[in-house]
Amino acid sequence: MKRVISSLILVILLALTGVNAQNNGARTNPKARSNPPFTLTLPNKESGVRFLVIGDTGTGTEKQQELAQVMLRVRQMFPFEFALMLGDNMYGSEKAADYKKKFEDIYRPLLDQKVKFYASLGNHDESNQRFYEFFNMDGQEYYRFSKGNVSFYSLNSNYMDKKQVEWLNDKMAADTATWKVAFFHHPPYSSGAAHGSDTKLRQIIEPIFIKYGVNVVFAGHEHFYERIKPQKGIYYFISGSGGKLRKGDVKEGSSLTAKAFDKDMSFMLVEVDDNQMHFQVVSRTGETVDSGILMHQRKNGKSTS
Amino acid sequence: MKANMRSEQLLAIVGIFVLCVVASARIQGQTPAPPQLSPADKLIVEDFEKRAKEYSKMREALEEQMPKLSKEAKPEEIQTHKKQFQDRVRAARAGAKPGDVFTPEAATLIRKMIKDEFKGKERVELRDTVLKESDTKAVPLRVNYPYPESQELLEMPPTLLLRLPQLPKQLRFRFVSHSLLIVDRENGLIVDYMTNALP
Repeated sequence: MKRVISSLILVILLALTGVNAQNNGARTNPKARSNPPFTLTLPNKESGVRFLVIGDTGTGTEKQQELAQVMLRVRQMFPFEFALMLGDNMYGSEKAADYKKKFEDIYRPLLDQKVKFYASLGNHDESNQRFYEFFNMDGQEYYRFSKGNVSFYSLNSNYMDKKQVEWLNDKMAADTATWKVAFFHHPPYSSGAAHGSDTKLRQIIEPIFIKYGVNVVFAGHEHFYERIKPQKGIYYFISGSGGKLRKGDVKEGSSLTAKAFDKDMSFMLVEVDDNQMHFQVVSRTGETVDSGILMHQRKNGKSTS
Repeated sequence: MKANMRSEQLLAIVGIFVLCVVASARIQGQTPAPPQLSPADKLIVEDFEKRAKEYSKMREALEEQMPKLSKEAKPEEIQTHKKQFQDRVRAARAGAKPGDVFTPEAATLIRKMIKDEFKGKERVELRDTVLKESDTKAVPLRVNYPYPESQELLEMPPTLLLRLPQLPKQLRFRFVSHSLLIVDRENGLIVDYMTNALP
C-alpha cells in the first residue's frame, strides 16, 4: 500500500514539474507548441530577472521589423526590463543613418518603454559601436553587469585575445553571483551546416567557464535557434535569427541538438527566478517554438542539484 | 646495454610526467598555454611589438588632441570622430609603407606560427573561412587606407591570438584573403599588412 502511495506521489510530482525523459537537462513545456497565437509560459514574477535575447539583428529589413513587433506585443504580457544582443548588430555600412535604420527605427517603441539593450560585437560590427548610447557597452568591447542574482558577461568573441582572457579570469574569480551568464557572438557548440561549432574559441573559454561555474551561454552567428544538450554542465543556446534566417541549416540528427528551429526568425524570453531559469522562444508569427526550465546546476564549479 | 636501459627508463619517466601534467591541466579546466619561443624568435617578437607600440603612441597623441568620444555617443558623433581621426593619422603617416611593422623577419616568424597552429583539418577549415565564406573582397591591401566598414571583420582564432606577438589594445590582426593585416580598431585604418600569411 505504502509503495502504491509513494509511486502515486512521484507521478503527481513529475506531472507538476513537467520532467521529460528526453529533455537533456531542461524541463520542456508540452503545451508550448500547440498554443499559437502567443501564450506566455514563463512565471512572470515581479521579483524575477526578465529579459530578451536577440542575435544577428542588424539588417533593417521588413522581417526584422515584424519580429520587433512581436517583441513589443509580448512585452505587454511579459515586461522584460532589458535585452541581450548577441552581435552582428549592424550589417553592411555603419554610417549614422545605418544606426537609425538598422536599430533605432526598428526598436524605437521598446527604447521608448525604457528597455535597455546590452550589446556584444559580431564579425560585422565595428569596435566603435561600443560608444553608441543605446548599446550600453560603457565604451568597452567586453564588460560585465549584474541584475538581481545574475551576473552577465558580454564578451568579444571576434577578438578573444590575451587581455580579454585575463580580464575574464579576474572578473569571474571575484564574482559571487548565483547565476553567471555569458553572451557573445560565436557559438562554442553548434549544429549549423554553414558555420558549426567554434572549437578554437571553445578551447580557450570553456575551461574558464567550467572553473568559475558559468551556468548559461547565449551565442548568435548562426541564423537559427538551437538549444544545445548541456555540455560539461553548461547550458548553451544559439539565438541568431533576429534579422536574418538561414532556413534548414541545422544538421539533422546532430548529437548536439536538444531542440532547434530554423524555419523562421525568432527571439528568446528569459526569466531567472531564484534557482530556476525559465525560457521561451518565440517566432515571427508569435508561435512558441521551445520553452522550458533550467535548474541552477552548480556554484563555483560544484554541482548544487 | 645498461646505459641503454637507463635512458629508456628515463624516457619512460619523463613521458609519464608529461602525460600527468597535461592530464592535470585538462582536469582542472585550464586554458592551454602557447609554446615557448627561442631566444632569437623572442628578439624578433620584441622588435615587432616595439614597432606596433610606436604607431600606437603616435595615434594616441593625435587622439588626445581631438574631442573625446562619450560612452553614450550619438551615431553622428561616432561617424565624425572616426573620419577626423582617420584624416589626422593618414596625414601624420603619409610616408607609411608595407613592412613598417611586419619586417621580413617578423613576417617569416608569424607565417610559421600560423602554420604551426593550423594543421590538417583545421587548416582546411581556416582556408575555407577566409577564402570562401568571408565577405572581405573589397578590402584594399593598402597601408594607411581605411578598411571599408561594410566589409566583414573576420574572427581571429583565439588560440592563434595567444601565440602571435601581442598588439597594443587599439590594434587588431585581421585575415583578408591570403594576407594578415594590422587594423586600428577606432579609425579603421590599415596600419600594415603581410602577404602569404594563410598556410
